[in-house]
This record gives sequence, structure tokens and C-alpha cells, in this order.
Amino acid sequence: MDIPFTTTARKDTGLYNAKLGIWLFLASEVMLFGGLFSGYVFLRVFADFTWPERALPIIPGLINTFILIGSSVTVVFAWASLKMRKWRQFQIYMAITIVCAGIFMILKTIEYKAKFLHQAVKMKDFVILEGHTHKFTIDSAGHVEEYHPPGHGGHGDDHGSGHGDGGHGEGHSSLASEGLHLIADQKDGHGEESHGDDSHEEHAKSKSDPEYHNRIFFEADTITVSLETFYAPFIAELMAQAAAKDGVEIKVTASQLGRIDPKKAETIVVEEGELLSITDLKKYQAKYLEAKSQNSKVKTAQARDAWARLRKDAKGPARDIKDQLEFDESFEDFLVQYPQTLTYTISPPVLFHLDPRKVDESPERARLLDGTTLGGQLDSKHSAIEMAIDAIDFSDVARRAEDRDRDPLVAIENTWILQNNPEIKKLWDIHSAKVAALDEELLEKHGRDKNGKQKEEATEVERYRMRWQDIINHQVGEDKMGIFSGFAGPNHKADYAKHFPNISVPREEVRHESRFTPRWNNYYAIYFLITGLHGLHVIGGIIVLGYFLFFGKKMYLNNPERMANRVEVGGLFWHFVDLVWIFLFPILYLM
Amino acid sequence: MSASTSNDTSHAADHHGDHDDHHHEIGFLQKYFFSTDHKTIGIQYGIVSLFFILFAFFLMMVMRWSIANADEPLPGWMSMFFSENWRAQWLNPDGTVKGSTYNMFGAMHGTIMVFLGVVPLGFAAFGNYVTPLQIGAPDMAFPKLNMMSFWLYLPGGLMMIASFFLDTGAAQAGWTNYSPLAGLMQSGAPNQWMTGQTWWLLAMVFLISSSLLGSVNFLTTIINLRAKGLTWMRLPFFVWAMLVTGFLLLLAFPPLEAAALMQLSDRVFGSSFFLPTGLATAEGAVAVAGGGSPLLYQHLFWFLGHPEVYVLLLPAIACVAEIIPCNTRKPLWGYRPMVWSVLLLGFLSFIVWAHHMYITGMGPGISMFFQTTTVLISIPSVILLTSMIISMWGGSIRFTVPMLWATAFIPMFGIGGLTGLPLAFNLVGLHLHDTYYVIGHFHYVVAPGILFGLFAGIYHWYPKITGRSMNKVLGHLHFWPSLIFINFLFAPMLIQGMAGFHRRWFNGGDAYLPTTPDSEDVFANTVANFIDLNSVMSTAAFLLAISQVPFIFNVLFAWVFGKKVNSDNPWDATTLEWATPTPPGHGNFTFEPAVYRGPYEYSRPDCEEDYLPQWHEPRKKAEVTASADDAKKSTEASKA
Repeated sequence: MDIPFTTTARKDTGLYNAKLGIWLFLASEVMLFGGLFSGYVFLRVFADFTWPERALPIIPGLINTFILIGSSVTVVFAWASLKMRKWRQFQIYMAITIVCAGIFMILKTIEYKAKFLHQAVKMKDFVILEGHTHKFTIDSAGHVEEYHPPGHGGHGDDHGSGHGDGGHGEGHSSLASEGLHLIADQKDGHGEESHGDDSHEEHAKSKSDPEYHNRIFFEADTITVSLETFYAPFIAELMAQAAAKDGVEIKVTASQLGRIDPKKAETIVVEEGELLSITDLKKYQAKYLEAKSQNSKVKTAQARDAWARLRKDAKGPARDIKDQLEFDESFEDFLVQYPQTLTYTISPPVLFHLDPRKVDESPERARLLDGTTLGGQLDSKHSAIEMAIDAIDFSDVARRAEDRDRDPLVAIENTWILQNNPEIKKLWDIHSAKVAALDEELLEKHGRDKNGKQKEEATEVERYRMRWQDIINHQVGEDKMGIFSGFAGPNHKADYAKHFPNISVPREEVRHESRFTPRWNNYYAIYFLITGLHGLHVIGGIIVLGYFLFFGKKMYLNNPERMANRVEVGGLFWHFVDLVWIFLFPILYLM
Repeated sequence: MSASTSNDTSHAADHHGDHDDHHHEIGFLQKYFFSTDHKTIGIQYGIVSLFFILFAFFLMMVMRWSIANADEPLPGWMSMFFSENWRAQWLNPDGTVKGSTYNMFGAMHGTIMVFLGVVPLGFAAFGNYVTPLQIGAPDMAFPKLNMMSFWLYLPGGLMMIASFFLDTGAAQAGWTNYSPLAGLMQSGAPNQWMTGQTWWLLAMVFLISSSLLGSVNFLTTIINLRAKGLTWMRLPFFVWAMLVTGFLLLLAFPPLEAAALMQLSDRVFGSSFFLPTGLATAEGAVAVAGGGSPLLYQHLFWFLGHPEVYVLLLPAIACVAEIIPCNTRKPLWGYRPMVWSVLLLGFLSFIVWAHHMYITGMGPGISMFFQTTTVLISIPSVILLTSMIISMWGGSIRFTVPMLWATAFIPMFGIGGLTGLPLAFNLVGLHLHDTYYVIGHFHYVVAPGILFGLFAGIYHWYPKITGRSMNKVLGHLHFWPSLIFINFLFAPMLIQGMAGFHRRWFNGGDAYLPTTPDSEDVFANTVANFIDLNSVMSTAAFLLAISQVPFIFNVLFAWVFGKKVNSDNPWDATTLEWATPTPPGHGNFTFEPAVYRGPYEYSRPDCEEDYLPQWHEPRKKAEVTASADDAKKSTEASKA
């Protein structure tokens, strides 16, 4: 059996099957990306926050655009070579196409990685702070060092939130001198250097964990595990943190009574002093669920029995007669009993560090998502978010103030960051002065319109956002970062990074915090979704075109026309991928 | 199959005409599981989708129990399908149905019926089996893609079912999965990837990919593989309907995929596509960035959702449109208007979606636009239905079992359509939105409408598929009770809906009953007046379930013990699928099919039998010219 029109075109439609198929497929793809682009428009038009504009590095994006356009050309050349039956030439052009696609993906990966490292915080008062949680620190001589996070509860002052201009150098050195052990430190002094091999491993891990500076630190002496809902990886993580510290034991606080066999008396089902282990928890969980289903079996049988007796003499809908139900209490002899939660004591207490998204913390209690609860004390100082600031944005503060007919500048003055951090305050004063000077300059240049309004004034971004270049310029006191520096993002390893102020943001002042990921705001959400999907299409293209390049020879020899058709179809797909990018680049990078 | 596959890739050039090596034995797995034959795939789709429909029907029975007997424990014969642990988690201790379980079953009933049951049965099963036969093609244009399409559908479906056994249970936010409810539901789970809501989205990605591959394949097949002489206006109406359905799936599903990906991102990456600023739940403010738009989700969903209604409907109409001319022995009345109507219907279905969203506050301008298009779309629908009624007019109707179902389809779908008209108006929407009236309306469309049409199709093509006929008595035992009970099930819904009964009351309105005997609460008294209809409907639902037993028996037993059909064309039909051997072998046709005339040449006065199949060669040239000369002479004579 042969399917007709796999190689030759059908006369009345002028198409061979695969070409028709790919056009239909692309129509569907247009609808998919159309849906996403409409989503972009919808979200941007109805956004109630300042939509980031030109937030992405333009130069790499532009290079990517040209690379994709170039590869679209070479894929046509590859197809034309096949049509002319020049296999070698086809190989060269196809290889160029695939290399272009590879370069595209590499540039994209670099761009993504920068986003994953960048931290943003939205304060309760809508100030937006951008920067890096400490992974690197730069001492006053400009040396880059791995940041040494806190961990010694007994330590004196860390850098607080309010160190002054010259203070950040000091802050760094004090940070650098703070010991390196992080995971399960005891309160008892910081001089202790009693790490075993384990803690060395942990130490290495911590260095590469930038999240570490955005953690909840909680010193716990009890753990309460919910047998029904506990999530083993969470328990395992807590146990690992405790095990990193020598001599920590997690034991059942008190014996628990239960009755698995309804005919027998209550017995101890969990002994006091048993060590926490996931295998045991799973065993207890199974028994708990067994007891639960036994109980519901009994209760259901009781209810069925009661209804059956009631139905004998009472007629009518259930809701009218349910009050007359008489439950047979003898069923209750079959009920069993099993503890629902187990409480463990941690001795000595351990300082846990927890992912803020997985924990609901209060001063004396930290509840994980799976219902596991830690009892003890929150270390709120170390739970603060430590970051080096590379941009501060007051646009949302200003906009909200204007919506309420208040002076935006007063609102900005009253924000937590300007009230509590003299260094930032100083930067803002410099910035305000510069904006005022700019306004004056524009007034001189363009004058006023007939309503007496200034024709040109500083834009909202210029007015309310201190970009990373501004911060450096204000700190240095001269225009060190020129306009061309704007084509790439701030580099926290570069020499200038020493000018980024270090601050510690207490968690209670934070409204929302995230890396520059979909979580941060809808701009990044739609950016990652569309470019991610586009990236998957690029990878798909690489696979398909690569298959033609490396495994196409046999078909070429058998049926060169069919091979050319395949490349034509693959090329059409490739053009589409290129076209999507041509739409993506302006809306995400330029507008 | 392997032969055709290898042929595809490497032997195309030098193996033309060499058919012998294509008929060697193929393995069991390749023949019945990983088959690339459109007929096997069609049967696979048919069996699997019928199982899903049965499963979703069972979910509905648990819901109906909860509605009518909220205070009573689920009876033993129903709860025996659940494991003990599952029961302990998802039923109340006294054995009554939990509200969350009702929500879960409701959401999954809708999802499974629409995406796993009716669409695969109508479009994928019938479309796969019948379309290539009717256009005289040896197979689909891309057989391997066809197989892949099934093997994306099945895992997607199994994933939906498997989500019932997750700790969180399956999705519970309604089949429409509206955000922010769906975005936040089960969001407290420690592992977002292992929640029912997330699995719903992942399974949808599988199903959407499957339908994308399927629709590309169908469209290419119909456009490019039509037999010689099968011009557009000679296509059976069935093929036209499949063509339009294919376009609807191709273009309408991707926006839902976009929405599903966005919701997935909201759930697992913490974005706020559909979560507005200031969102709070019973547990306090939700820790997300905010700034998203719930309305965006609804737009994207209903951009699929409404065309999806026609994806459900068109295959059923397609089956009925084949069965009616065949059994009335008359040409389909108004074939051309029907073709244009179905094209118009396809087009209009893309611009009516927001009539599902009248009470979201889109603004009167937008409502007015969608109100207008919605009323417009009833015109082609009515043309289709009316044409079929007129087709029956004056015919000598054979009331075979498929014809019974096809006949019942017309008034039942008619009720579904007419009850939809009031809903087109946004003022009425204020009152009826989310009530049982809406449920009654679309169930009339889908259950006694579409499913009856598809049952008709099963009875009609079963002899071709298996070579055996289904039992007539069992067919009647299936049809009459189904017709009666399905009306007792859905008609009261319209009444309750107008009384204001909300579709998501898990206990059927108990909570709204008057608290005192002399209560003056109007709504409470209305609820009291109509609440007893719940028992009527639930009883009808259980009886409807029993009426499906003869069908299940019939399908299974006839496959092995049914009476063998002694002709390739047992219904004396005219379209090309009846020109194949019974059941058709690999490659379908034993001759090169060519088409000489339109699809519904019944009761032609100029031939001996009362039908003239599309594939019968016209009489010899000499005869034709002779008769043409005769005709010429007679016209001249009449002129004179």
C-alpha cells in the first residue's frame, strides 16, 4: 500500500502531503503564539504595576535576531543545494544553520542565568529593590570573595540595615570574618571549629547556594509531624540539617497510646525516646490510615444500619426523616484509635534554615507546607534578606501617591528604606537634585506650552528609578557609567560592584520577593513563557534539521526529491521560528 | 504495517507497484496496539473513548446520589468501586459524599466526557474509520502521526484518571478550570507537581498535542487524498463535517494550550498570569505578585470552549446526515446549503465565545457584539436541522436501529438548541447563568443530541467494521428506555434552573430550604417547591444506566456471535466506504476507487435499483450519447 502524493504534488491542490501538513501545523502554531501574544497585550494593558521597559540586554537580543535571520537564509540555501543535487553544499549550509541555532540557544542561556541570579524585593510600601543576594562580596580593595553568610547566633552585630556610605566596606569585612558553618549551628559560641567531614561538604554546598541569604532561620527544639500529611523530602531535609551538627538527637517526646484491635485495651504504639526516621513515620502513617479507614467503615455501617431501620417505617425524602435516625451504639465498640501527630524533641536545639516559600513562620512556631511544625524561636535578624542593591524603583510609590492626590515626593521620603538607611537616602538626595537639574535644563531648552506646562520634562523612569549606573555615578560623584553601559545588565563581579550598597531587609517590611523569575511579575512571567516556548521550538528545529544533516544521506541517494521536500518542510518550520522571534524581540526587548 | 513504514522512508522510489511484500505477517503488538492503520486506530479510539464515557457516567451517578440523597450513605453497590483508604479520605465517616468529592467528580465528569469521551468518539473514532474510506484513500496521509496521536491521547487520558489517586485527589475546580480558583486550589500541597490540578493541565497538554496531530492529519487527508473524480461538491456531508471539525480543532485548541501553560506556570513557578492584585482566601492574603487577569483565562478558555461545542456536535450531525438519506431512500435535501451552513457554522463558532462570560462585567458593548453573533449562529444550525427533517419528508423510511437513533437525534438536539436561544441574551444570562437551566440545555445538546447521533453511527457502521450485525431486539431495548429516561433526567433540570437552582449545590439545595414552616423567604420556598425533582432525575439517571446494559452486551456479543452480513453494502448505501471488502483489509480498496457522481443518489428513476453508488461506472459511452441524444430530441420537441 502506498500513500499517494508523498513526494509529488497533487495536481489540483498543487501540494504534496507534508507541505500541506506543515502549513496546517504552522496555522495551529500561529494560534498558539497568537494566544500568548494576546495574553501579553492583555496583561500589559491592564497591568497595575510599572511594566518594566527595556529591562533586557538589547545587544545580545539583537545579535540573536540577526543570527536567526541568517539561519533562515542558509536553510533556504541548503534546500536549494538539494534541489541542485549538491549534497556537499547542502551539508555546509545545513551545518551553518544548526550552528546559528546553537549560538542562539547559548546567548539565551546566558540571558536566563542572569535572571535567575538577580533578586528583587517589593516592600510593603511598594518600593522595589533590585540586586543580588550575597553570593560575592567585594572588599574595599576590590577583591571578589565568596560571601560568608551568618550562622553564629552568638555573634555580635552583623551589618545592620543602616550602615552609612563608608560603612559598606566595613560591613563586608565583618561579613567575611564571620565563620563559614551554616547549617546547624548551635548557639554556643562561634569559635568552635568542630566540623566533621560532613560539615565540610555542607560548607561547600552553601557557597554555591545563593538562596542561602534569603532563608528563614529558626532555632527549633521540637518537631510535630502530622502522620497523615507529612511529606518525606521535607522531613529528610530537616534530618539532614540536624545531622550536620554533631550530637543532635531527635526523639519522640512522649509515648503515644493507641488501640488497633478494637477488642483489646489501649497500648503504647509509639515509645518515648524513639529516634525520628522516615521509615518509621511511613510505618506509623500506614497504621494511622488503616485505623482511619477502619473507623469510617464502622461509622458507615452504623449509618447504613440506621437508615435501613428507618426506611422500614418512615417514608419521604431523606432530609425530612433524617432527624428520626437512631444510631446503634454497639457499632462503636469496633472503633479503633491511633495518634494523628507525633511530637519529637530536638536536643540540643538546632538552627534550621528554611525556604521562605515553604514555611509559614511566627516568632515561636514555623509550619511547613505539609503540616510539620517546628517549635522554638525565630531568628528574625538572620532571616532578613541580605542583598547588594543595584537598582531602586520608586515608580509604584509615586503612582499610588498620585492616584490618591498626594505628593509623590513626600510619599517617597516616607518610605521605610529612606527613613532607615542613610546611605540610600543620600543617593536619593543626589538623584533628586539631578532630576531637578534635568528638569530645569529641559525647561530652558524647550520652554513651556501655552498652558504654562513644561513641554518636556524628565520621564517617569528618569525621575523615580535609580538604575545601577545611577547608583554607581551617585556614589562616585561623576558620570562614570556612560550611555553604552546600558546595553548589558549590572555585573556583580565587576570592579564597580563595590559601589552597590549592601542592605538587610527585615522580612516584615517585605510584600513580595523573588528572583527575576515568573514569580516576580507578569512581565517576567510572559517573557519566560514565550521565550521558553520559542526556545523549545528552536531545540525542536535543531533536532529535525540535525537529523536531516546527519542521517539524510541514505534517503538522498534513494530519492533526492523526497529529501529536498523534507528539508523544504523543515525550512518552513524554521522560518516560522524565526518569525516568532522577530515579533518577540521588539515587544520584550525594545518596547 | 512495518512494510508500509519502511516504504515511507526509504523504498518509495524503487518499490512502486510492487505490492507483494506489503502483505507479509505483522506482529500482534503492531497489529492491535501500535498500528498505523486508520481503521485499527479508529477502533482503538472508539473502545477507549466508550470506556471513558462509561467512567464519567459513573462519576455522575455518585454526584446524582449526593444531590438527591445528600444525607444517606453512598449505597454499597456504588462504593464498592472505591478502595477502603480512598473511601476513608473522600467520603464522610458516615459514608455520605463529601462536598469536595462532589466538586472533584463534577470537574472530572465534564473533563472526561468532553475531552476524553465524546470528542475522541465522534471525531477521532468515526473520523478515523470512515473518512479515508469515504474519500477512497488507502489510509490517512500520515499513518505514523495517526498512531502517535492515539498514543498521546491514551496517556493523557490515563493521567486524568490516575490523578484521582494522588494525595490531593483530582482537579476540583470545574471542567472549565477557571482561575483564580483553579490556580489556588491544592496550592498548599508540598509538591506542586503532584496535585490533581497540575495533572489536569499536564494531561491537557497531552490531549491538545494529540488533537493537533489528528487534525493536521485529517485535513491533509481530506484535501489531498480524495479519490479520482471526488470533487468538493461530491464529498459526502460526513467528510465536510469532519473537514470543518478538523479546522476547529486545529485553530481553537492552541489558545487553550497557551492558557494551560500559563496556569501551569501560576501553579508551579508562582507567576500571576491569572491572579489579580489583592487576592485573599480564607487563609489570608495570597503570597503572589498579583497584577494578573482572571478574565484573560476565561477568554482563552472559551476561545477553545465554544468551537469545542461544534467539535462535539458536527461528527454527530455528520453521522445522522449519512444515515437519514440511506434509510429514507431519498437524496439529502439541500446538500449545498448544508455544506455552506456547516462552513459558516465553523467560522461563526470562533466569534461567539464570550456569550459564556456575560456576567463577568465585560461591558455592554462587547456583550452586544457576542449576543448578535450568537443569535446569528443559530441560522446555520437551523438550516442543518431543517434540511434533515425535510430529507425525511415523503420518504419510504426504513426504521432500522440506526435510523431510530438518528430520528430521535433531531427533536432531542432541537430541544437542546432551542433552550440555548434565551441564553444568547445577556439579560437572561443574569438570571440563568450557572443554574441547572444551563446544565439542562447543554446536556440536551450533548447527551440525547450528540450521543444519540453517535450511537446511530455505531449501529450503522458496525456491520462494516466487524462484518457482523448488531442484534435488533437489543437495539430496541437500548433505544426506547434511553429515550424515555434521558428526558426524565434532563427536562426537570430546565424547570429547576428557571427556579434558580445553582449547578454546584452538592446537596441539591438542602441548605437553602426554609428554616421554619411559615417562612416568607421567597427563594427558600421556591427551592422547597422544586427540590423533589432531584429524586426524579436521580432515579432516571440510574435507570438510564441500566438501559445501557443491552448496548454493552450487544457490542460485545455481536462482535463474535452476531449474524454475518452477506453483502459488502448491507444498507444499500451510496458512499465509498461500502465499496470495500467487509471488514476492509489493509489499504482498504481492492480496486482503484473512482467517483462518478454525488454522494446521495437514491431513488433515481433511471436505474434498476433505487440507489446508484458513487463508484459505479456510468453506462458505456455509446449508451450515454444515445440517451443524451434522446434527451436532446425530447427537449427540442417540447420546445417546438
